[in-house]
Amino acid sequence: MSTALQMAPAPNEVTATPLLELRGISKEFPGVKALDDVSFALYPGEVHMLLGENGAGKSSLMKVLCGAYKADAGEFFHKGEKVTITSTADAQKLGIAVIFQEFSLVPYLDIAQNIFLGREPKGRIPGTIDRRKILADAKRLLDMIGFDIDPSVIVNTLGVAQQQMVEIAKAISQNARILVMDEPTAALSDRETELLFALIARLKADGVSIVYISHRMAEVFSLGDRITVLRDGRRIDGVRPADVTPDQLVRMMVGRTVDMTYPRNFADKPGELLLQVKGLTSSSGISDINIEVRRGEIVGLCGLVGSGRSEVARAIFGADPTTSGEIIFDGKPISGEPDVAARRGIALIPESRKSEGLALLRSVGDNLVVSALRKLFPSGLFDPRSGQRTADGLIRQLRIATPSARQTVGLLSGGNQQKVVIGKWLAAGAKLFIFDEPTRGIDVGAKSEIFALIDRLVAEGAAALMISSEQVEICHVCDRAYVMREGRVAGHLARNELTEENIVRLGMHHA
Amino acid sequence: MREAAVVSQPNPFQRIPGVAIVLVALIVLFGAIAPGFLSAANLSNVLVQSTILTMLALPMTLIIMTEGLDLSMGAVLTLTSLCVAIVSLATQSMLLGLCAGIAVGAAFGTINGWLVAILGIPPFVATLGTLGMAQGLSLIVSDGQSVVGIPHTVRDIYSATLLGIPVPIVMALVTYAAFHGLLYHTRFGSYVFALGGNREALRYAGLSPNRLLIAVYAIGGTMAGIAGLLMTARMNSGHPTAGLGLEFDAIAAVAVGGTSFERGNGWLLGTLLGVIAVGVLRNGLNLISMPSSVQVASVGVLVIVALFLDGLRSRA
Repeated sequence: MSTALQMAPAPNEVTATPLLELRGISKEFPGVKALDDVSFALYPGEVHMLLGENGAGKSSLMKVLCGAYKADAGEFFHKGEKVTITSTADAQKLGIAVIFQEFSLVPYLDIAQNIFLGREPKGRIPGTIDRRKILADAKRLLDMIGFDIDPSVIVNTLGVAQQQMVEIAKAISQNARILVMDEPTAALSDRETELLFALIARLKADGVSIVYISHRMAEVFSLGDRITVLRDGRRIDGVRPADVTPDQLVRMMVGRTVDMTYPRNFADKPGELLLQVKGLTSSSGISDINIEVRRGEIVGLCGLVGSGRSEVARAIFGADPTTSGEIIFDGKPISGEPDVAARRGIALIPESRKSEGLALLRSVGDNLVVSALRKLFPSGLFDPRSGQRTADGLIRQLRIATPSARQTVGLLSGGNQQKVVIGKWLAAGAKLFIFDEPTRGIDVGAKSEIFALIDRLVAEGAAALMISSEQVEICHVCDRAYVMREGRVAGHLARNELTEENIVRLGMHHA
Repeated sequence: MREAAVVSQPNPFQRIPGVAIVLVALIVLFGAIAPGFLSAANLSNVLVQSTILTMLALPMTLIIMTEGLDLSMGAVLTLTSLCVAIVSLATQSMLLGLCAGIAVGAAFGTINGWLVAILGIPPFVATLGTLGMAQGLSLIVSDGQSVVGIPHTVRDIYSATLLGIPVPIVMALVTYAAFHGLLYHTRFGSYVFALGGNREALRYAGLSPNRLLIAVYAIGGTMAGIAGLLMTARMNSGHPTAGLGLEFDAIAAVAVGGTSFERGNGWLLGTLLGVIAVGVLRNGLNLISMPSSVQVASVGVLVIVALFLDGLRSRA
């Protein structure tokens, strides 16, 4: 990190004209105001940090900036002149390039061909590539950004950090003056991070401006010349790192308005231990996870997107192989496969219920009984009438709004589809429900019904582990919560400590 | 969360063994058990007989690199072979026959590309449809009969030599050189890698993936037209089932050669070795009097063995 600290001082914005300025940008999607009157100025040669919780509007702003989204309202100014950005081509012409987390590289072409894809130097024979020139040009570019590698190396053999360097070289080759980086260090080792920071310092010195999205406090302070904080699609403040403390930044990020009440009847005392996870490590990147869930509890699992929350859920369910650690469920160790976990009474209700939880083209009834077939029909013969009775019972019990059990599931609303998924596991005799973003894509009214349903489930002796990016929901609904950070449990919050601020504080990288 | 570093794939040369081991093993095997297999005349025969497949398998490599498939190649070859026979019979001109074959082949290839790129029909289904169309047209233009009495200039192509090398082999070598140049040394070739590897990258570079995709399928149809000439020459007639099942051998050769069906990972030399392996297998089984049903089954086994060996290597 030492390199980052020796960076050139930020230019004085009182005298300089912004390289790029956005004024009053708004962008609405059906039901969500992604950006609401956001203004943003980027000066030549500065690193501008974009900070905010999941869903605060960082990604939307970035996409408006690079022309992937068209803003509903607002103006753009480039070096003081009014411009329009309605396509990625517009953005490219203004010298804006995005370093995507999902790389835009072709895996089985070499570095040089990737950098100059579509702009290859022409060889003597029409249609051919001037091999010597493309390699020399690429080499010069790679030298410029300090990446010492043979440009004829096939990209697929490179590591994540090296691919990122190629992306940056590609952007520079297109005369990019504004680089947008979305959590560029998320997949890098410490050594690679240092190389990236050194490169950023060099780019800055050349007058390249960088918009940098990060969740790591250390980066925000060591790298940033300026910080813009977003919340709920609105710009909360623009500050200089020297003028704020990490705590003040956290406070700016949280504080979402609560627009509804969540029904919850907290039990007087917790029930018996149902799930005990000890030192769980899996190949998907989580390590040393220790979690306990008791009957009658709703336990939150929070943290930033990508902190390993879903991976913990998948490991408990047996969907990802674990490399060490122990999972004790209902007094007995459990290991291995999802079908074992399901039979023992663990239900995983995934975020993408359309692809993982439901057979959308089949009926409500079919979906409700599919997990319980073994239990309902031990002989192996399907009895339609008995299946129908079970399905009708669940529809009544869960108050699923459907004309009949024969209705196609795909035609129900999001909230009712969610109830069908819950009902399916209930029929199979699940005791522990693991919810991954249970309210995603569900309207406000249905949310409260889903929570009422979960509340009833745990009151009847089940337990729930709930992953959510909606910290307000965690705070109102959960008995307590674990906060994940970079594949580990960063902390545990009891009921009286459960505030948005504490969740964000634990979830951010402070080191 | 930290992602695991990208696991590096073996480069093309580390992949030689899969297909090369199989090829060497087959040559050793048939050298031992098939009388006359190792004679110069027979080996030359194997290569000559592999030329038609080469002309299909090379463009099939490009198509598979785009995460596509062309099941119609065998049927289109049947049709172009008939066109060569009919037109050369009517005009007594080998060249006009070839032009007719190429035109029909290119048309079918373009239709395939259009169905896949513009209409978005999965390649498997789209080319299955054109397979049926080409088969039906073959029966119509030939009336279900062989087209015989074609000019000897056509037949002579198959038996003639150039500098002592059989003309079909020369044609196959020229084709290989052309495809090698196209894939590895032209801009179009780079875009073929991108079609399978990352189509978004093409769009960002301001290129049209759809037009490129149509071109790739059109090349396949065109090559089926040229191969149609060789087929007609070889059989000295047009036959309404001449190309039956050749698409199977072509796809098998590509797969044996180590081209992946995902992410635009293709290897032309591997395809060439795969073609020869299929040719050696069929020739050897012929020599020990195995029926053609056994040959088809054996090609299937060959694909599985070669991919198994590659799998073993990449895990090692």
